[in-house]
Amino acid sequence: MEPTTELAQVAGFSVDLARAYDRETHLWVLDLGGGRLRLGLDALGVETAGTLAALAFVEPGTDLAPGEPFGSLEAAKFVGPFLAPVAGRLVAVNEAVLGDPSLVERDPYGAGWLVEFDTAGPGVPGGALVAGADAVAAWFTATVDDYRLKGLVAE
Amino acid sequence: VETLRVCDFGRVSARRSQTLWHALAHGVSAGAAPTLSFMRPARPYVGLGYHRPAAEVDLAWCREAGLPVYRRKAGGGVVYLDDAQLFFQITVPAASVPAARGAALRQLLAPAVAAWRAAGIDAELDPAGEVVVGEAPGGTGVSPGVKICGHAAAQIGEAVVVVGNLIERFDHAAAARVLALPPDARAEVGRLMRRFVAATPADAATFQSAAVTAYGEALDLEPVPGTMSGEERLHLAHLDTRFATARWLAGPVAGRPLPAARTVKIRAGVFVVTAETAAARLVAGVVSDRVERAVLAAPEWNGAARGLAAGLEGLSLSEARGRLASAGAAGAGLANALAGLRMTAA
Repeated sequence: MEPTTELAQVAGFSVDLARAYDRETHLWVLDLGGGRLRLGLDALGVETAGTLAALAFVEPGTDLAPGEPFGSLEAAKFVGPFLAPVAGRLVAVNEAVLGDPSLVERDPYGAGWLVEFDTAGPGVPGGALVAGADAVAAWFTATVDDYRLKGLVAE
Repeated sequence: VETLRVCDFGRVSARRSQTLWHALAHGVSAGAAPTLSFMRPARPYVGLGYHRPAAEVDLAWCREAGLPVYRRKAGGGVVYLDDAQLFFQITVPAASVPAARGAALRQLLAPAVAAWRAAGIDAELDPAGEVVVGEAPGGTGVSPGVKICGHAAAQIGEAVVVVGNLIERFDHAAAARVLALPPDARAEVGRLMRRFVAATPADAATFQSAAVTAYGEALDLEPVPGTMSGEERLHLAHLDTRFATARWLAGPVAGRPLPAARTVKIRAGVFVVTAETAAARLVAGVVSDRVERAVLAAPEWNGAARGLAAGLEGLSLSEARGRLASAGAAGAGLANALAGLRMTAA
Protein backbone atom coordinates (compact mmCIF):
# COMPACT_ATOMS: atom_id res chain seq x y z
CA MET A 1 0.00 0.00 0.00
CA GLU A 2 1.32 3.42 -0.91
CA PRO A 3 2.07 5.70 2.04
CA THR A 4 -0.32 8.54 2.65
CA THR A 5 0.60 12.13 1.97
CA GLU A 6 -0.91 15.08 3.76
CA LEU A 7 0.34 18.32 2.36
CA ALA A 8 0.35 21.64 4.18
CA GLN A 9 1.07 25.00 2.60
CA VAL A 10 4.20 26.53 4.08
CA ALA A 11 5.50 29.84 2.71
CA GLY A 12 3.73 29.16 -0.57
CA PHE A 13 5.07 25.62 -1.02
CA SER A 14 3.52 22.22 -0.40
CA VAL A 15 5.20 20.35 2.44
CA ASP A 16 4.39 17.05 4.13
CA LEU A 17 5.03 17.96 7.75
CA ALA A 18 5.03 14.33 8.84
CA ARG A 19 8.28 13.58 7.02
CA ALA A 20 11.90 14.25 7.97
CA TYR A 21 14.01 16.59 5.82
CA ASP A 22 17.69 17.07 5.09
CA ARG A 23 18.54 20.76 5.33
CA GLU A 24 21.35 20.70 2.78
CA THR A 25 19.92 18.52 0.03
CA HIS A 26 16.19 19.19 0.36
CA LEU A 27 15.52 15.48 0.37
CA TRP A 28 12.61 14.17 2.41
CA VAL A 29 12.82 10.87 4.27
CA LEU A 30 9.74 8.76 5.01
CA ASP A 31 9.77 5.78 7.37
CA LEU A 32 8.06 2.83 5.65
CA GLY A 33 8.63 0.56 8.63
CA GLY A 34 10.97 -2.36 9.17
CA GLY A 35 14.07 -0.23 8.66
CA ARG A 36 13.01 0.81 5.16
CA LEU A 37 13.11 4.50 4.22
CA ARG A 38 11.75 6.21 1.11
CA LEU A 39 13.52 9.34 -0.16
CA GLY A 40 12.39 12.13 -2.45
CA LEU A 41 13.03 15.76 -3.31
CA ASP A 42 11.01 18.40 -1.49
CA ALA A 43 9.12 21.19 -3.23
CA LEU A 44 11.84 23.77 -2.65
CA GLY A 45 14.46 21.40 -4.00
CA VAL A 46 12.32 20.96 -7.09
CA GLU A 47 11.86 24.71 -7.48
CA THR A 48 15.57 25.52 -7.24
CA ALA A 49 16.62 22.65 -9.52
CA GLY A 50 14.60 23.93 -12.47
CA THR A 51 13.09 21.76 -15.18
CA LEU A 52 14.45 18.28 -14.65
CA ALA A 53 16.03 16.72 -17.71
CA ALA A 54 17.46 13.48 -16.37
CA LEU A 55 18.01 11.40 -13.26
CA ALA A 56 20.27 8.45 -12.54
CA PHE A 57 20.82 6.30 -9.47
CA VAL A 58 23.50 3.89 -8.33
CA GLU A 59 22.77 0.19 -8.54
CA PRO A 60 20.44 -1.31 -5.93
CA GLY A 61 22.52 -3.11 -3.33
CA THR A 62 24.95 -0.21 -2.97
CA ASP A 63 25.83 0.64 0.63
CA LEU A 64 25.99 4.35 1.35
CA ALA A 65 27.31 6.49 4.15
CA PRO A 66 25.75 9.89 4.87
CA GLY A 67 26.99 12.40 2.29
CA GLU A 68 27.86 9.82 -0.35
CA PRO A 69 26.25 10.23 -3.78
CA PHE A 70 23.43 7.83 -4.57
CA GLY A 71 22.64 9.33 -7.94
CA SER A 72 22.57 12.46 -10.02
CA LEU A 73 20.15 15.01 -11.36
CA GLU A 74 20.38 17.23 -14.43
CA ALA A 75 18.50 20.47 -15.00
CA ALA A 76 19.49 23.40 -17.20
CA LYS A 77 22.55 21.41 -18.37
CA PHE A 78 23.74 21.41 -14.74
CA VAL A 79 24.52 18.01 -13.26
CA GLY A 80 24.59 17.59 -9.51
CA PRO A 81 24.72 14.67 -7.11
CA PHE A 82 22.02 13.29 -4.86
CA LEU A 83 23.77 12.90 -1.51
CA ALA A 84 22.58 10.31 0.97
CA PRO A 85 21.07 12.06 4.00
CA VAL A 86 21.38 8.89 6.08
CA ALA A 87 23.39 5.69 6.00
CA GLY A 88 21.83 2.66 4.39
CA ARG A 89 21.71 0.26 1.48
CA LEU A 90 19.93 1.50 -1.61
CA VAL A 91 17.42 -1.26 -2.29
CA ALA A 92 14.93 0.22 -4.76
CA VAL A 93 14.75 2.97 -7.36
CA ASN A 94 11.62 4.51 -8.78
CA GLU A 95 11.82 3.44 -12.41
CA ALA A 96 8.94 5.76 -13.26
CA VAL A 97 10.97 8.91 -12.55
CA LEU A 98 13.89 7.62 -14.60
CA GLY A 99 11.57 7.45 -17.60
CA ASP A 100 9.72 10.65 -16.78
CA PRO A 101 11.62 13.06 -14.49
CA SER A 102 8.69 15.48 -14.64
CA LEU A 103 6.93 13.18 -12.15
CA VAL A 104 9.26 14.59 -9.50
CA GLU A 105 8.05 18.10 -10.31
CA ARG A 106 4.37 17.15 -10.52
CA ASP A 107 4.17 14.94 -7.45
CA PRO A 108 7.36 15.25 -5.37
CA TYR A 109 5.92 13.62 -2.25
CA GLY A 110 4.00 10.88 -4.03
CA ALA A 111 4.62 9.22 -7.40
CA GLY A 112 7.80 11.28 -7.81
CA TRP A 113 9.72 9.55 -5.02
CA LEU A 114 13.33 8.68 -5.85
CA VAL A 115 14.79 5.68 -4.01
CA GLU A 116 14.42 3.46 -0.97
CA PHE A 117 17.07 2.60 1.60
CA ASP A 118 17.31 -0.27 4.05
CA THR A 119 18.85 0.92 7.29
CA ALA A 120 20.38 -0.93 10.17
CA GLY A 121 17.58 -0.20 12.58
CA PRO A 122 13.95 0.89 12.63
CA GLY A 123 12.84 4.51 12.36
CA VAL A 124 14.40 7.55 10.74
CA PRO A 125 17.90 8.27 12.07
CA GLY A 126 18.19 11.63 13.79
CA GLY A 127 21.27 13.72 13.34
CA ALA A 128 21.07 16.34 10.65
CA LEU A 129 17.45 15.69 9.67
CA VAL A 130 14.67 18.08 10.60
CA ALA A 131 11.62 16.24 11.94
CA GLY A 132 8.40 17.14 13.69
CA ALA A 133 5.70 19.35 12.19
CA ASP A 134 6.65 22.54 14.03
CA ALA A 135 10.38 22.16 13.37
CA VAL A 136 9.83 21.31 9.70
CA ALA A 137 7.49 24.28 9.19
CA ALA A 138 9.91 26.66 10.92
CA TRP A 139 12.92 25.40 8.94
CA PHE A 140 11.05 25.48 5.63
CA THR A 141 9.71 28.99 6.25
CA ALA A 142 13.13 30.32 7.19
CA THR A 143 14.74 28.72 4.13
CA VAL A 144 12.12 30.08 1.74
CA ASP A 145 12.47 33.54 3.31
CA ASP A 146 16.23 33.38 2.82
CA TYR A 147 15.89 32.25 -0.80
CA ARG A 148 13.37 35.00 -1.51
CA LEU A 149 15.68 37.57 0.01
CA LYS A 150 18.38 36.38 -2.38
CA GLY A 151 15.97 36.37 -5.31
CA LEU A 152 16.31 32.63 -5.84
CA VAL A 153 12.60 31.88 -5.69
CA ALA A 154 9.62 34.01 -6.63
CA GLU A 155 7.74 36.04 -4.02
CA VAL B 1 41.84 39.64 -1.43
CA GLU B 2 41.97 35.92 -2.09
CA THR B 3 43.27 34.53 -5.33
CA LEU B 4 41.76 33.23 -8.53
CA ARG B 5 44.10 30.59 -9.88
CA VAL B 6 44.42 30.96 -13.64
CA CYS B 7 45.60 27.87 -15.51
CA ASP B 8 46.30 28.12 -19.22
CA PHE B 9 46.96 24.61 -20.53
CA GLY B 10 47.25 25.63 -24.17
CA ARG B 11 46.76 22.84 -26.69
CA VAL B 12 46.10 19.47 -25.08
CA SER B 13 44.93 16.03 -26.17
CA ALA B 14 41.22 15.51 -26.70
CA ARG B 15 40.92 13.43 -23.55
CA ARG B 16 42.90 15.90 -21.48
CA SER B 17 40.61 18.70 -22.62
CA GLN B 18 38.02 16.95 -20.47
CA THR B 19 40.02 15.31 -17.68
CA LEU B 20 42.00 18.44 -16.83
CA TRP B 21 39.00 20.41 -15.68
CA HIS B 22 37.49 17.44 -13.86
CA ALA B 23 40.79 17.15 -11.97
CA LEU B 24 40.76 20.85 -11.16
CA ALA B 25 37.24 20.49 -9.79
CA HIS B 26 38.52 17.70 -7.57
CA GLY B 27 41.21 20.08 -6.32
CA VAL B 28 38.86 22.99 -5.70
CA SER B 29 36.51 20.60 -3.90
CA ALA B 30 39.42 19.69 -1.63
CA GLY B 31 40.23 23.32 -0.87
CA ALA B 32 42.29 24.68 -3.76
CA ALA B 33 41.63 28.27 -4.82
CA PRO B 34 38.80 29.03 -7.23
CA THR B 35 40.20 28.40 -10.69
CA LEU B 36 39.73 29.78 -14.18
CA SER B 37 41.20 27.47 -16.80
CA PHE B 38 41.68 27.52 -20.55
CA MET B 39 42.64 24.91 -23.13
CA ARG B 40 41.91 23.81 -26.64
CA PRO B 41 41.87 20.24 -27.95
CA ALA B 42 44.63 19.37 -30.39
CA ARG B 43 42.28 17.19 -32.44
CA PRO B 44 38.55 16.85 -33.08
CA TYR B 45 36.43 14.62 -30.88
CA VAL B 46 32.91 14.15 -29.60
CA GLY B 47 31.76 15.09 -26.12
CA LEU B 48 28.78 13.47 -24.48
CA GLY B 49 26.66 14.90 -21.65
CA TYR B 50 26.65 12.94 -18.41
CA HIS B 51 23.13 11.53 -18.68
CA ARG B 52 22.99 10.97 -22.43
CA PRO B 53 23.07 7.43 -23.86
CA ALA B 54 26.20 6.72 -25.89
CA ALA B 55 23.80 5.37 -28.52
CA GLU B 56 23.01 9.00 -29.41
CA VAL B 57 26.46 9.14 -31.01
CA ASP B 58 27.14 7.40 -34.33
CA LEU B 59 29.96 5.47 -32.71
CA ALA B 60 30.78 3.41 -35.78
CA TRP B 61 31.15 6.48 -37.96
CA CYS B 62 33.21 8.26 -35.30
CA ARG B 63 35.51 5.27 -35.03
CA GLU B 64 36.03 5.20 -38.80
CA ALA B 65 36.60 8.95 -38.83
CA GLY B 66 39.11 8.68 -35.97
CA LEU B 67 37.02 10.74 -33.57
CA PRO B 68 37.26 9.68 -29.94
CA VAL B 69 34.15 10.03 -27.78
CA TYR B 70 34.38 11.17 -24.15
CA ARG B 71 31.62 11.50 -21.61
CA ARG B 72 31.79 14.55 -19.34
CA LYS B 73 30.33 14.90 -15.89
CA ALA B 74 28.51 18.06 -16.93
CA GLY B 75 25.13 18.15 -18.64
CA GLY B 76 23.81 18.76 -22.13
CA GLY B 77 23.93 16.59 -25.21
CA VAL B 78 26.29 15.37 -27.91
CA VAL B 79 28.76 18.01 -29.08
CA TYR B 80 31.45 18.08 -31.73
CA LEU B 81 34.62 19.75 -30.47
CA ASP B 82 37.81 20.72 -32.27
CA ASP B 83 40.83 23.00 -32.16
CA ALA B 84 38.86 25.98 -33.46
CA GLN B 85 37.21 26.18 -30.04
CA LEU B 86 38.86 27.69 -26.97
CA PHE B 87 37.47 25.99 -23.88
CA PHE B 88 37.14 27.87 -20.62
CA GLN B 89 36.07 26.62 -17.21
CA ILE B 90 35.34 28.47 -14.00
CA THR B 91 35.52 26.29 -10.90
CA VAL B 92 34.44 27.58 -7.49
CA PRO B 93 33.39 26.15 -4.13
CA ALA B 94 29.78 24.96 -4.29
CA ALA B 95 28.96 26.92 -1.16
CA SER B 96 29.84 30.17 -2.94
CA VAL B 97 27.15 29.96 -5.62
CA PRO B 98 23.37 30.36 -5.32
CA ALA B 99 21.38 27.27 -4.43
CA ALA B 100 19.18 27.76 -7.50
CA ARG B 101 20.89 26.25 -10.52
CA GLY B 102 19.64 28.82 -12.99
CA ALA B 103 20.93 31.66 -10.82
CA ALA B 104 24.29 29.92 -10.35
CA LEU B 105 24.69 29.46 -14.08
CA ARG B 106 23.87 33.07 -14.85
CA GLN B 107 26.27 34.29 -12.18
CA LEU B 108 29.12 32.17 -13.51
CA LEU B 109 28.48 32.88 -17.19
CA ALA B 110 28.08 36.64 -16.84
CA PRO B 111 31.86 37.35 -16.71
CA ALA B 112 32.34 35.32 -19.89
CA VAL B 113 29.72 37.48 -21.58
CA ALA B 114 31.67 40.54 -20.44
CA ALA B 115 34.78 39.02 -22.01
CA TRP B 116 33.03 38.60 -25.36
CA ARG B 117 31.95 42.21 -25.18
CA ALA B 118 35.53 43.26 -24.42
CA ALA B 119 36.52 41.32 -27.53
CA GLY B 120 34.08 43.35 -29.62
CA ILE B 121 31.08 40.98 -29.70
CA ASP B 122 27.69 42.25 -28.57
CA ALA B 123 27.10 39.14 -26.45
CA GLU B 124 24.36 38.74 -23.91
CA LEU B 125 22.75 36.09 -21.75
CA ASP B 126 19.26 35.53 -23.08
CA PRO B 127 16.33 34.68 -20.78
CA ALA B 128 16.92 30.98 -21.40
CA GLY B 129 20.50 31.29 -20.18
CA GLU B 130 22.17 30.96 -23.58
CA VAL B 131 25.08 33.18 -24.59
CA VAL B 132 23.84 34.83 -27.77
CA VAL B 133 24.61 37.77 -29.99
CA GLY B 134 22.56 40.80 -29.01
CA GLU B 135 20.76 43.39 -31.05
CA ALA B 136 23.91 45.24 -32.14
CA PRO B 137 26.01 42.57 -33.83
CA GLY B 138 27.89 45.16 -35.89
CA GLY B 139 30.14 43.58 -38.48
CA THR B 140 30.29 40.16 -36.91
CA GLY B 141 28.13 38.58 -39.58
CA VAL B 142 26.12 36.88 -36.85
CA SER B 143 22.39 37.48 -36.51
CA PRO B 144 20.89 38.65 -33.21
CA GLY B 145 19.81 35.79 -30.97
CA VAL B 146 22.23 33.28 -32.45
CA LYS B 147 24.01 31.09 -29.90
CA ILE B 148 27.78 31.62 -29.79
CA CYS B 149 28.79 29.46 -26.83
CA GLY B 150 28.10 25.92 -25.72
CA HIS B 151 27.96 25.66 -21.96
CA ALA B 152 27.31 23.07 -19.29
CA ALA B 153 27.82 22.75 -15.56
CA ALA B 154 28.41 20.23 -12.82
CA GLN B 155 28.81 19.94 -9.12
CA ILE B 156 31.80 17.69 -8.55
CA GLY B 157 32.31 17.04 -4.86
CA GLU B 158 32.17 20.42 -3.15
CA ALA B 159 33.03 22.35 -6.31
CA VAL B 160 30.83 23.78 -9.03
CA VAL B 161 32.28 24.08 -12.51
CA VAL B 162 30.78 25.87 -15.48
CA VAL B 163 32.33 25.14 -18.85
CA GLY B 164 32.00 27.01 -22.12
CA ASN B 165 33.73 27.63 -25.41
CA LEU B 166 34.73 30.48 -27.64
CA ILE B 167 33.96 29.25 -31.14
CA GLU B 168 36.35 30.56 -33.78
CA ARG B 169 34.99 28.33 -36.54
CA PHE B 170 32.15 25.87 -36.29
CA ASP B 171 31.96 22.75 -38.41
CA HIS B 172 28.18 22.41 -38.65
CA ALA B 173 28.40 19.42 -40.98
CA ALA B 174 30.61 17.45 -38.59
CA ALA B 175 28.48 18.47 -35.62
CA ALA B 176 25.41 16.97 -37.31
CA ARG B 177 27.23 13.96 -38.76
CA VAL B 178 28.39 12.55 -35.41
CA LEU B 179 24.79 12.11 -34.26
CA ALA B 180 23.16 8.70 -34.55
CA LEU B 181 20.19 9.87 -36.57
CA PRO B 182 18.53 8.97 -39.88
CA PRO B 183 19.85 11.12 -42.75
CA ASP B 184 16.75 13.33 -42.95
CA ALA B 185 16.87 14.07 -39.22
CA ARG B 186 20.59 14.80 -39.44
CA ALA B 187 19.92 17.17 -42.33
CA GLU B 188 17.33 19.01 -40.26
CA VAL B 189 19.79 19.29 -37.36
CA GLY B 190 22.37 20.71 -39.75
CA ARG B 191 19.90 23.21 -41.17
CA LEU B 192 18.91 24.53 -37.75
CA MET B 193 22.49 24.54 -36.47
CA ARG B 194 23.56 26.75 -39.38
CA ARG B 195 20.80 29.16 -38.47
CA PHE B 196 21.07 29.19 -34.68
CA VAL B 197 24.71 28.41 -33.78
CA ALA B 198 27.63 30.47 -35.04
CA ALA B 199 31.28 31.26 -34.57
CA THR B 200 32.27 34.86 -33.91
CA PRO B 201 35.32 36.83 -35.04
CA ALA B 202 36.32 37.46 -31.39
CA ASP B 203 40.08 37.25 -30.94
CA ALA B 204 40.82 34.36 -28.59
CA ALA B 205 43.72 36.07 -26.81
CA THR B 206 41.66 39.21 -26.22
CA PHE B 207 38.75 37.12 -24.95
CA GLN B 208 40.99 35.13 -22.64
CA SER B 209 42.65 38.17 -21.13
CA ALA B 210 39.29 39.88 -20.66
CA ALA B 211 37.83 36.75 -19.06
CA VAL B 212 40.62 36.71 -16.46
CA THR B 213 39.84 40.30 -15.57
CA ALA B 214 36.07 39.84 -15.60
CA TYR B 215 36.05 36.70 -13.45
CA GLY B 216 38.49 38.28 -11.00
CA GLU B 217 36.26 41.33 -10.63
CA ALA B 218 33.02 39.39 -10.45
CA LEU B 219 34.31 36.99 -7.81
CA ASP B 220 36.36 39.67 -6.00
CA LEU B 221 39.49 37.57 -6.39
CA GLU B 222 43.02 38.45 -7.49
CA PRO B 223 43.92 36.52 -10.67
CA VAL B 224 47.23 34.72 -10.30
CA PRO B 225 48.80 32.37 -12.87
CA GLY B 226 48.87 28.86 -11.46
CA THR B 227 49.38 25.20 -12.13
CA MET B 228 47.94 21.93 -10.92
CA SER B 229 48.88 20.62 -7.50
CA GLY B 230 50.49 17.22 -7.03
CA GLU B 231 47.19 15.85 -5.75
CA GLU B 232 45.38 17.16 -8.82
CA ARG B 233 47.99 15.58 -11.10
CA LEU B 234 47.48 12.24 -9.39
CA HIS B 235 43.76 12.56 -9.86
CA LEU B 236 44.29 13.57 -13.46
CA ALA B 237 46.18 10.33 -14.13
CA HIS B 238 43.29 8.41 -12.60
CA LEU B 239 40.78 10.28 -14.75
CA ASP B 240 42.85 9.79 -17.90
CA THR B 241 42.46 6.06 -17.39
CA ARG B 242 38.83 6.18 -16.33
CA PHE B 243 37.64 8.34 -19.22
CA ALA B 244 39.03 5.82 -21.73
CA THR B 245 37.02 2.90 -20.36
CA ALA B 246 33.90 1.44 -21.95
CA ARG B 247 32.20 1.68 -18.58
CA TRP B 248 32.69 5.44 -18.36
CA LEU B 249 31.50 5.87 -21.93
CA ALA B 250 28.37 3.85 -21.14
CA GLY B 251 27.74 6.17 -18.21
CA PRO B 252 25.02 6.16 -15.58
CA VAL B 253 22.34 5.43 -18.17
CA ALA B 254 23.91 2.19 -19.42
CA GLY B 255 21.30 -0.31 -20.46
CA ARG B 256 18.47 2.16 -20.79
CA PRO B 257 16.89 1.89 -24.25
CA LEU B 258 16.61 4.96 -26.43
CA PRO B 259 13.06 6.28 -26.19
CA ALA B 260 10.77 6.04 -29.22
CA ALA B 261 10.80 9.84 -29.43
CA ARG B 262 13.74 12.07 -28.63
CA THR B 263 15.03 15.54 -29.25
CA VAL B 264 18.29 17.04 -30.38
CA LYS B 265 18.59 20.48 -28.89
CA ILE B 266 20.16 23.12 -31.11
CA ARG B 267 19.73 25.95 -28.62
CA ALA B 268 17.08 26.81 -26.05
CA GLY B 269 13.72 26.74 -27.83
CA VAL B 270 15.07 25.07 -30.99
CA PHE B 271 14.89 21.29 -31.32
CA VAL B 272 14.77 18.52 -33.83
CA VAL B 273 12.28 15.87 -32.77
CA THR B 274 12.49 12.34 -34.06
CA ALA B 275 9.86 9.71 -33.32
CA GLU B 276 9.90 6.21 -34.66
CA THR B 277 7.50 3.33 -34.26
CA ALA B 278 7.14 0.05 -36.12
CA ALA B 279 4.62 1.71 -38.43
CA ALA B 280 5.80 5.28 -38.93
CA ARG B 281 8.53 7.85 -38.51
CA LEU B 282 8.49 11.60 -37.88
CA VAL B 283 11.25 14.20 -38.11
CA ALA B 284 10.28 17.71 -37.06
CA GLY B 285 12.27 20.90 -36.70
CA VAL B 286 10.74 22.91 -33.84
CA VAL B 287 11.48 26.61 -33.42
CA SER B 288 9.93 28.54 -30.54
CA ASP B 289 7.50 25.68 -29.89
CA ARG B 290 6.23 25.67 -33.50
CA VAL B 291 6.89 22.91 -35.99
CA GLU B 292 8.78 24.64 -38.75
CA ARG B 293 9.42 21.65 -40.98
CA ALA B 294 8.14 18.10 -40.75
CA VAL B 295 8.82 14.86 -42.60
CA LEU B 296 6.55 11.85 -42.12
CA ALA B 297 6.88 8.34 -43.44
CA ALA B 298 4.41 5.48 -43.03
CA PRO B 299 3.37 2.81 -45.53
CA GLU B 300 -0.16 3.03 -44.10
CA TRP B 301 -0.59 6.55 -45.42
CA ASN B 302 0.13 5.43 -48.97
CA GLY B 303 1.37 8.72 -50.38
CA ALA B 304 -0.59 11.02 -48.08
CA ALA B 305 2.35 11.52 -45.72
CA ARG B 306 3.59 14.67 -47.42
CA GLY B 307 0.26 16.44 -47.03
CA LEU B 308 -0.07 15.32 -43.45
CA ALA B 309 3.46 16.57 -42.69
CA ALA B 310 2.70 19.93 -44.30
CA GLY B 311 -0.36 20.17 -42.07
CA LEU B 312 1.83 19.89 -38.98
CA GLU B 313 3.91 22.92 -39.89
CA GLY B 314 3.05 25.97 -37.82
CA LEU B 315 1.47 23.90 -35.07
CA SER B 316 2.81 23.60 -31.55
CA LEU B 317 4.21 20.19 -30.76
CA SER B 318 1.19 19.38 -28.61
CA GLU B 319 -1.14 20.43 -31.44
CA ALA B 320 0.88 18.33 -33.87
CA ARG B 321 0.56 15.40 -31.50
CA GLY B 322 -3.20 15.87 -31.50
CA ARG B 323 -3.30 15.98 -35.30
CA LEU B 324 -1.26 12.79 -35.54
CA ALA B 325 -3.47 11.04 -33.01
CA SER B 326 -6.33 11.24 -35.46
CA ALA B 327 -4.27 10.01 -38.45
CA GLY B 328 -4.94 6.31 -38.18
CA ALA B 329 -2.99 3.69 -36.26
CA ALA B 330 0.38 4.91 -37.56
CA GLY B 331 -0.34 8.46 -36.46
CA ALA B 332 -1.65 7.33 -33.11
CA GLY B 333 1.55 5.41 -32.52
CA LEU B 334 3.64 8.50 -33.23
CA ALA B 335 1.38 10.63 -31.02
CA ASN B 336 1.82 8.14 -28.23
CA ALA B 337 5.61 8.24 -28.64
CA LEU B 338 5.60 12.04 -28.58
CA ALA B 339 3.61 12.08 -25.35
CA GLY B 340 6.74 11.01 -23.50
CA LEU B 341 8.82 13.91 -24.78
CA ARG B 342 10.06 16.70 -22.58
CA MET B 343 11.28 19.91 -24.14
CA THR B 344 13.88 20.58 -21.47
CA ALA B 345 17.04 22.60 -21.62
CA ALA B 346 19.20 19.47 -21.83
